[in-house]
Amino acid sequence: MAVAIAAARVWRLNRGLSQAALLLLRQPGARGLARSHPPRQQQQFSSLDDKPQFPGASAEFIDKLEFIQPNVISGIPIYRVMDRQGQIINPSEDPHLPKEKVLKLYKSMTLLNTMDRILYESQRQGRISFYMTNYGEEGTHVGSAAALDNTDLVFGQYREAGVLMYRDYPLELFMAQCYGNISDLGKGRQMPVHYGCKERHFVTISSPLATQIPQAARGPGYGIMSIRVDGNDVFAVYNATKEARRRAVAENQPFLIEAMTYRIGHHSTSDDSSAYRSVDEVNYWDKQDHPISRLRHYLLSQGWWDEEQEKAWRKQSRRKVMEAFEQAERKPKPNPNLLFSDVYQEMPAQLRKQQESLARHLQTYGEHYPLDHFDK
Amino acid sequence: MAVVAAAAGWLLRLRAAGAEGHWRRLPGAGLARGFLHPAATVEDAAQRRQVAHFTFQPDPEPREYALETQSPLPRNFEMGQTQKMNLFQSVTSALDNSLAKDPTAVIFGEDVAFGGVFRCTVGLRDKYGKDRVFNTPLCEQGIVGFGIGIAVTGATAIAEIQFADYIFPAFDQIVNEAAKYRYRSGDLFNCGSLTIRSPWGCVGHGALYHSQSPEAFFAHCPGIKVVIPRSPFQAKGLLLSCIEDKNPCIFFEPKILYRAAAEEVPIEPYNIPLSQAEVIQEGSDVTLVAWGTQVHVIREVASMAKEKLGVSCEVIDLRTIIPWDVDTICKSVIKTGRLLISHEAPLTGGFASEISSTVQEECFLNLEAPISRVCGYDTPFPHIFEPFYIPDKWKCYDALRKMINY
Repeated sequence: MAVAIAAARVWRLNRGLSQAALLLLRQPGARGLARSHPPRQQQQFSSLDDKPQFPGASAEFIDKLEFIQPNVISGIPIYRVMDRQGQIINPSEDPHLPKEKVLKLYKSMTLLNTMDRILYESQRQGRISFYMTNYGEEGTHVGSAAALDNTDLVFGQYREAGVLMYRDYPLELFMAQCYGNISDLGKGRQMPVHYGCKERHFVTISSPLATQIPQAARGPGYGIMSIRVDGNDVFAVYNATKEARRRAVAENQPFLIEAMTYRIGHHSTSDDSSAYRSVDEVNYWDKQDHPISRLRHYLLSQGWWDEEQEKAWRKQSRRKVMEAFEQAERKPKPNPNLLFSDVYQEMPAQLRKQQESLARHLQTYGEHYPLDHFDK
Repeated sequence: MAVVAAAAGWLLRLRAAGAEGHWRRLPGAGLARGFLHPAATVEDAAQRRQVAHFTFQPDPEPREYALETQSPLPRNFEMGQTQKMNLFQSVTSALDNSLAKDPTAVIFGEDVAFGGVFRCTVGLRDKYGKDRVFNTPLCEQGIVGFGIGIAVTGATAIAEIQFADYIFPAFDQIVNEAAKYRYRSGDLFNCGSLTIRSPWGCVGHGALYHSQSPEAFFAHCPGIKVVIPRSPFQAKGLLLSCIEDKNPCIFFEPKILYRAAAEEVPIEPYNIPLSQAEVIQEGSDVTLVAWGTQVHVIREVASMAKEKLGVSCEVIDLRTIIPWDVDTICKSVIKTGRLLISHEAPLTGGFASEISSTVQEECFLNLEAPISRVCGYDTPFPHIFEPFYIPDKWKCYDALRKMINY
């Protein structure tokens, strides 16, 4: 609850008084946020007016004692373009994307899916330390990426690899990061799936979730323009993102898109989700409402794809992933000196001393360390 | 909002008779004339507010200073035109210089638009526009998160946290995001153009939540720099260095010095190097180290030691907490053999422990006495007990005397 200060005026420092009384002005209606759209009309103050006068409040008075139930407000409706079988519901909402673009959407999602399967397995075999799959959420990644400009800066949480896939991040670099090998742009510092790419305007992933908790139900509460969309409908995600981006840039205000989807895979390789959800529920989403199959049905109905192409693509994408995977596994890790750089732009003296002490330590005790796998 | 009320309270000094008149003009005050007696008529002197525990001592004219060998400023440093400025004015001047020469620089935080609760940003919004100097919601996590975001895009982000005591909601953003941005991305991304400024340290009546010195929490975090000035001249040069530094920096401003410290400060921009301690007085018997307000306390202790004990003290202002200037401190201790470190922050885990530990590693055989730390007690910062809590000159003097007699 905000405590408003009822001060009437700002007093300037009066030279005549050695100690000034400085009362801080709070203007009604002004929240102090920098906004470039016109400020709200201030109500004319009138003591005869029986409306609430609290600054910033637009509600009416009520004389009936009633508590608001958290769930009684009906859910925000979910925007979609395709039904679960990939058929367009309302033709005027069809974005009419050209064939190459839709194929790119489809191939990005399926290549990601293939990569996920192989890398998840590789973790199970002890070849990488950790992995997170994107099963079920691929539609949100590619639909939004397709609606943005390639130069738009994307800040991801940790399950947005499809954005990078859509932006043609090479398999070699995905793998390099997971293996922490000498080709990793991140220099081997982070756990797998913490990708980043300056060229593709994708800011490096971090683990904490500090300010990345989307709460569309509170979007309106925060005063942010919000929409809820079917995240498994690539066209719905595309349309909403496209429009939100256009308006955000034109109106200089934020837009919140809550893309409803379902995480089909476990949270990560450290998780077994059967401990907290039913296998039936997971199967429902996998079989009945999956972004990849919905888009495939659309492609088939347009005559842009068929079973043969599907088979060939599956084989090809699997081969591409396996090749990248095997190469990544063979490469050495970066030189251990890279443990110490980039903490600051320049290395502080104390840190250099620590780096030197590790080098000396390895000279004596090097046999106990996996130096063979690291770049010299 | 309570914060703003407290800041307003801090600035309300009811000592002049005219103050009564102001109170009467408040709507709804309804107080009888003479309700508040001017302090001059209060009989009991003990009830009078405590005088400051230090005396601000400006450095000798920096131009002279620049010619001494210990100075960090180049030998041909020209002061140029100067103006008498107090600490908040020197901060304003630094910010003004920054916004003038860097078109991407922006200043934001709670209440900065009207000039700030400590007047550090007065006039800047009028001069540079509302797109460059603007308020944020009351949300420190958001202030720093937003600052990181715009710094990542390349803009110079100068964020204000209204009191260092309120920096903790932003701790995760600072430690887990800002500090690690460059390292975790393999230098693909960074938020080096972020500077966070915040009022810091005891102020006479600030109590738990307007007096803290949290530098030790951040000292433990590789990737950021933490800087604390002792004077207006130092503040402007150090703040400009922080803003231009390619790493995220936290700049703590001793709030008690905002008005109490005033000296000639150049109008034009200038830099004072980071991670360089400054020997502000040479000596041979004891090394005294402090930062911020406490530098003035130990300077006075050095005078007392000279006068009463004939002891010659070397006084060092650390200036940058991390990365800190180990060499200057060690060089001094090798010479004197005795070290006393003093800070307002609580003793346990305070930054004096880091200095002490490093110095005993590097200078063990040079030490004539155990290293002494004179700090706040391991309690939250109390209100009415502040005069007993702070590491004042008597406590420092006493510790020094014991070291000499060890």
